[in-house]
Amino acid sequence: MRIEVNGAGHNVTSPPLASLLTVLREEMDVTSVKAGCESGGCGACTVLIDGQPRRSCLTPVVTAVGSEVTTVEGLGTPDSPSAIQQSFIHHYAMQCGFCTPGLVVAATAYVNGGGSDDLDSVAEAISGHVCRCTGYNKILEAVAAAVKSSEFDLSSTAVDKNTVVIKTGGAV
Amino acid sequence: MAVHRGRGIAAIEYPTGMNQNGDPSQAWIKVKPDGRIDVFSGTADIGNGAKTIQSQIVADTIGVPYEWVTFDNSNTDSSPVCTGTFASRATFVAGKAVLKAAREVQRKLLDVAAQEMEISPEDLEIEDGRVSVKGLPDEGMDVGEVAGAAVYGHGILVTGTGAQLNPYAAFTDPGTGEVDSPPHAAISYAGCVAEVEVDDVTGEVRVTKLTQSYDVGRAINPSLVEGQIQGGAIMGLGLGVLETSYPYYPSVEHRGSGFGSYYAPSPLDMPDLETIIIENPSEDGPYGAKGIGEMANNSQPAAIATAVYDAIGVWITELPITPEAVLKALDKKAAGEDQPRRDGKMVIFDEDLSVNTVGAGLQWTA
Repeated sequence: MRIEVNGAGHNVTSPPLASLLTVLREEMDVTSVKAGCESGGCGACTVLIDGQPRRSCLTPVVTAVGSEVTTVEGLGTPDSPSAIQQSFIHHYAMQCGFCTPGLVVAATAYVNGGGSDDLDSVAEAISGHVCRCTGYNKILEAVAAAVKSSEFDLSSTAVDKNTVVIKTGGAV
Repeated sequence: MAVHRGRGIAAIEYPTGMNQNGDPSQAWIKVKPDGRIDVFSGTADIGNGAKTIQSQIVADTIGVPYEWVTFDNSNTDSSPVCTGTFASRATFVAGKAVLKAAREVQRKLLDVAAQEMEISPEDLEIEDGRVSVKGLPDEGMDVGEVAGAAVYGHGILVTGTGAQLNPYAAFTDPGTGEVDSPPHAAISYAGCVAEVEVDDVTGEVRVTKLTQSYDVGRAINPSLVEGQIQGGAIMGLGLGVLETSYPYYPSVEHRGSGFGSYYAPSPLDMPDLETIIIENPSEDGPYGAKGIGEMANNSQPAAIATAVYDAIGVWITELPITPEAVLKALDKKAAGEDQPRRDGKMVIFDEDLSVNTVGAGLQWTA
């Protein structure tokens, strides 16, 4: 049994009904794919299978034979991040990072599939993902921005348009 | 049968770090021969941005670009002691340790530069990776040249250490833990206005908007501050209307065992968020900063509860405010057995406590 992950072939030694998540993490060291709830509820294990977002924890590895599996490692590199990865950085759309790979993968499918920049539409698209840190707002902003642009300034981070800063005297 | 709208407000005050209890954080910094800066600090970054914030403090204090700073908190052998990342202390307490270490590094760099340039160190300043004579920006040398001269010319390692330790309090009553001194950290204040829609048929409470203001002292990185506030807001929303791990506490029976039975907020629960960051600098936080971590998810549940009262005229005094709780409260109201309001604590802004710190230490304005 042989699967294609991020453009490279891999001979699977696990049984056919082993989860794709287990094979990616334990056999191939693709650790961006997170084992969260391992029951389809959190979205942290999401990968692209032929461009479609799929929960790798619920996917028997045998069903991925003949398909192209893509994880964040296949979307961009630290030196050359994809537009969505750039947008996540620019909008500070992450904190602890555990849910981030799954969200970047899902957002890639949404944007590549012609998704709109309407925030309600983005929220619907990523509603299968649980994030504990960010409060989602910056993730929604990052995905919406990636619909409109493919280049982001990585030397600065954006502040929300609904945020104001008021300075008082204090101890200065 | 209708959807009722309501609006409620809650305010909180919050200290930073482990008050009255020492609460040490330490850091050391060394300078490479090319002027690049290695920071060793024990502060774990759990997504709050501790590495980013402390690197910013070091870069700004020494006077070099942020990109020159490498922050190493990778293991407890190479890093000095840090009590930890909790109690909103990573910026306020650990930030002071790196700030002190950075000041020592800057002083030593200036000493080496002064010898190289045959000038008094008091007449020199460092900005954007360059040492120059005050008032004569063209006269000077790059920090990289200074660092190289230290290693290859003077035979010294440019390094700095910093440590923060708050005074220990004297307990006046060990039984209650009462102490004789005010808090050792500037008090932060915050307020939250929640707007809700309550369906009196299903009992569902939907939070439609959270308007929040936080006194953070100084927003060293506004985007990260905003991340703390927004993340805390949605956690507070979860505590207010969705989440309970032990419905029959302390029994672990019926504990939520997955996301089908434990309801963490999802993107579809998002309210509109409006954030007001108030910069009211404290006298000894690094660059005036206070803590903005734990306090970010405290005011929302109370604000939501007052908004529910505004909407349907019943006080819900236990969290979360589930549909079941709302419908039961409405039934009691219909039967004339209203749940009484629970008295809250009045938060009164204290200008002095908001900027002054009893703890010894550091005057960042100096």
